[in-house]
Amino acid sequence: MFLCYVLKTASHPFFLHNPFLYNFAVDYGGSSQKRETGTCHRVTRAGNSEGERGRKVTEEKSHRDKGRRGNIKERRKGIKEKYEVEDECDEDAPKRMKNRDNKKTRKNEEGEKSKRKTKIKNVKEGNDGESDDVKWGRSKKKEKAKKKKGKQELVEESSESESFSEGGELPEKKEGFTQEELEQLKEAVDEKRKLIITLKGKPWPMRKKLVTLRESQQFLEKYEGALGKGKGKRVYACKVIVMKKWMKFQRDLENFKTACIPWEMKIKDIESHFGSSVASYFIFLRWMYGINLILFGLTFGLVMMPEALMGKPYGSMPRKTVPRGEEGGAMDFAVLWDFGGYAQYSVLFYGYYNNQRAIGWLKFRMPLSYFLVGVGTVAYSYMVVIRTMARNANRDGGGDDTSFNFSWKMFTSWDYLIGNPETADNKFASITTNFKESIVEEQESQKDDNIHLTRFLRVLANFLVLCCLAGSGYLIYFVVRRSQKFALDGLENHSWWERNEVNMVMSLLGMFCPMMFDVISSLENYHPRIALQWQLGRIFALFLGNLYTFIIALMDEINRKRSEEDAVKLNMTAWEAGLYNGTSVGNASGPVPVHPADVPRGPCWETMVGQEFVRLIISDTMTTYITLLIGDFLRALFVRFFNYCWCWDLEYGFPSYSEFDVSGNVLGLIFNQGMIWMGAFYAPCLPALNVLRLHVSMYLQCWAVMCCNVPQERVFKASGSNNFYMAMLLVILFLSTLPAIYTIVTIPPSFDCGPFSGKNRMFDVIQETLETDFPAWFGKVFSYASNPGLVLPFILVMILAIYYLQSTSKTYKVANLDLKKKLQTQNEENKKKNKKAALKAAAELEEAKNAATCRQETECGESGQDRDITTSRQDRDITTSRQDRDAPSQQLSRGKASVNPLFPGLYTEMHLTGKQIRIPHIKRRAQQFLVVVKQMHILCAFALL
Amino acid sequence: MGSRASTLLREEEIEEIKKETGFSHSQITRLYSRFTSLDKGENGTLSREDFQRIPELAINPLGDRIINAFFPEGEDQVNFRGFMRTLAHFRPIEDNEKNKDPTASEPLNSRNNKLRFAFRLYDLDRDDKISRDELLQVLRMMVGVNISDEQLGSIADRTIQEADQNGDNSISFNEFIKVLEKVDVEQKMSIRFLH
Repeated sequence: MFLCYVLKTASHPFFLHNPFLYNFAVDYGGSSQKRETGTCHRVTRAGNSEGERGRKVTEEKSHRDKGRRGNIKERRKGIKEKYEVEDECDEDAPKRMKNRDNKKTRKNEEGEKSKRKTKIKNVKEGNDGESDDVKWGRSKKKEKAKKKKGKQELVEESSESESFSEGGELPEKKEGFTQEELEQLKEAVDEKRKLIITLKGKPWPMRKKLVTLRESQQFLEKYEGALGKGKGKRVYACKVIVMKKWMKFQRDLENFKTACIPWEMKIKDIESHFGSSVASYFIFLRWMYGINLILFGLTFGLVMMPEALMGKPYGSMPRKTVPRGEEGGAMDFAVLWDFGGYAQYSVLFYGYYNNQRAIGWLKFRMPLSYFLVGVGTVAYSYMVVIRTMARNANRDGGGDDTSFNFSWKMFTSWDYLIGNPETADNKFASITTNFKESIVEEQESQKDDNIHLTRFLRVLANFLVLCCLAGSGYLIYFVVRRSQKFALDGLENHSWWERNEVNMVMSLLGMFCPMMFDVISSLENYHPRIALQWQLGRIFALFLGNLYTFIIALMDEINRKRSEEDAVKLNMTAWEAGLYNGTSVGNASGPVPVHPADVPRGPCWETMVGQEFVRLIISDTMTTYITLLIGDFLRALFVRFFNYCWCWDLEYGFPSYSEFDVSGNVLGLIFNQGMIWMGAFYAPCLPALNVLRLHVSMYLQCWAVMCCNVPQERVFKASGSNNFYMAMLLVILFLSTLPAIYTIVTIPPSFDCGPFSGKNRMFDVIQETLETDFPAWFGKVFSYASNPGLVLPFILVMILAIYYLQSTSKTYKVANLDLKKKLQTQNEENKKKNKKAALKAAAELEEAKNAATCRQETECGESGQDRDITTSRQDRDITTSRQDRDAPSQQLSRGKASVNPLFPGLYTEMHLTGKQIRIPHIKRRAQQFLVVVKQMHILCAFALL
Repeated sequence: MGSRASTLLREEEIEEIKKETGFSHSQITRLYSRFTSLDKGENGTLSREDFQRIPELAINPLGDRIINAFFPEGEDQVNFRGFMRTLAHFRPIEDNEKNKDPTASEPLNSRNNKLRFAFRLYDLDRDDKISRDELLQVLRMMVGVNISDEQLGSIADRTIQEADQNGDNSISFNEFIKVLEKVDVEQKMSIRFLH
């Protein structure tokens, strides 16, 4: 256990944890814990010396002898056992031995455990390219983490030193405790005690007396307990045990926390082989999974479960029963797969829910809950996306010192704790990828081509892309129009192509346009990261067309269903009348019970919408998986095995292995999520389906990437928290809530299905609740608050606040950048100055040397035996000045460096202090900036809602 | 093993080592038992092969350099004293050592000495400068054949460019210190359980 902790905190760096030392740590894990936990000496120390002594048993020495040696050891550190050990060691040696053996076995077990854990830890740390603790501090974040840990250690250490070297008279730190030293300690304790008693009579000033009193009391408290004397002993032992347990618990918790991050190892593994851009997709996927899990929890816990448990059971009313006409095939797989039959008439879809105001013994307000969950899903998504964006913006705003980028990579990248060959391979890969990434960055930053040409090419490329988009937009519009006309005519009269025209056109566009964009973007010569963003943006625009057709088609369908519904309503009254007539003839005691399956019913457009979305998600998922299997896996198999018997080199030639398509996958994910947001209101099962899909995707794609893709040629660095993805997600979220809200607000719900049946509009459920479930005054207050006279000014104020915050944040940003730039230029200037100074110094040194030798020569020649006092003094002057120049490092120690421009260290110092002054300034600015950004985002969220 | 350690190691020796390295008595005996367990030849000294048997060092691309750091120039055996002297670089700096008066000779575990140790791993010819060639060698060890020579060369150039302050196209010890200024060497180059 302790080892893990050490590995984490000691954040090895470099070879610093020399591996054999590390082994050593494993062997003696138990003993080192002692030092770490400070006050726990007593218990653990005993355990350890036992461990050592245990081995001695085999050496066949006398018990007494052993007792002695153990004794000495214990004393060296654990002063406290002094008396008891001394007294017991002769008579009770055998008994104590037994005791110790027990402890020893326990210790050994612990050792085993820690060994195992270390191994695991090792593998993990090796795997993750960034295993922060182990790397030699590269980024700020890491440094911060370390500092935190450092602090923790500090606390521990301080507790230790307190318990040990209070007053400083005790040399325990040296640890070489012998009998005499223990005696000394005892004497010191006695002395203190005496001091306290006689303090009153001392002729000292009051303050000194008080201080001494307090100090000696503390001292006594500590050491009485430690020495096993007085009543402090038990308290002390308890304290030690509690402390130890607490520390252990904290370590466990830390380890547990890191182990709890799902898929962390997988993602790190991928990152080390494919670079951070591919990893950023998987991180995004994991984030998405988290969101969907919460959405799923909401719908499942507040909508599906209550209806299934407390609502009326299946078959009790028409909306909960499969109609007579469909009963025959309701259990067929084909029907179920299409979400018809029993699946359609279940909690999975809107139509199943009853409009009963309160259900079950809990009086659960089902329709209200349904409505609020629908709204809450969207609101929560907005909040999460915006919050994440704000957080990412904060992180970007920090900025770190990259002036020694390469040097740090060079000197600190290997993780010296890796002991597993497989992990070492991973680490190799990640170091290489890391270097490759920085090479790309470097090349990009140094690239200076013909700026006019690039500009022209970029404009041209954008023009081409725009043409492309406009063309495909028109095509989509044209095709949709045509299909609407066909639909009016009746689909049966048209050929297969005409019926499926829209779908075919959409998929063809989706297939070829991205390729075209790819080709066009090679004109632009952007940095790959920016190129990826452009690519994403363009495909995004294309997909919007897809979305547009889908929504148009859906709207048409809804309108058709609604007109159908009107017809059904008319028929309904006729049917009821007929029913009544039929029964009234037979007996007058009321209508004959009709089986709910026989009751005629409306088409329920809400369920239809939900079904559409579910089908879409399913087919989308299937296509993704199948393309993955065929496009990646089969292709990789083909390339790998047919390469033996093919005319050209398949691996490096034409088909080759596929690269991971980051942009396509990210967009797929984002659009998929958009569908979920749009459809979740009408099909509560959608989030559940999506969770399942993402879960499978994670494993399948991780596997596919590792097994059949090759890394991109130009691996580039992408931050794990990509705000660009988030921005697109936000746009999609906005776009997908629009139609959902539109249908909720403007279209009246179906008359015979769903929780809002019988109401004029779906949001009437709020009104109803306000009227019946709240006191009257509340409704009044609410109606006042929703008065346009109040709402409009409120919105105005909010807009003003957003504007103000935005402009302040902008200024802060600019100021931040300015200061950063200033720092950098100063840095560079200093470097230049240093170089100049060094060159000058070298020249001067030469000069001085020459001059001195000349002088000496002349002097030697001039004064043979009688030397002038003045010359000798001069001589001395010269030699000293020469010494000065010869040994600049000596000057430093003499403090002359600050006046002597010779020594570059001076500038170093100046530069440093300058930085120290400025950094807090920048930090403050940055903090202000962050606060503003945060406020802004919160306001935005409110405004949007 | 523990008993062997204490029987084979004379008290005076322990005292001397204690003075030289600052380790405590029990630490020395513990390290001695580790030393003897590494010593497969059982002749009181460690050879390079003994070190290479440690898995962490065997797979470490810079393992040989670290092993070299244990051996005085021109020798291929290291005795316990030498072993301890090298390890002393990793002893944590204790609080009471920090405010010791600066006139006393620097202990082996000072920040400077720790950095010096790291520096020597890169400085093969011990001329107190890390040259471009030396950097290239280390890079080659770290990335294998995955990156072309040309690119490695540019990395080495960049590294020197970043760190070099006096324009001699190599990294001197002072410049090395400057580079790692922000790295918490005291903590990182300390092995806590040697406390």
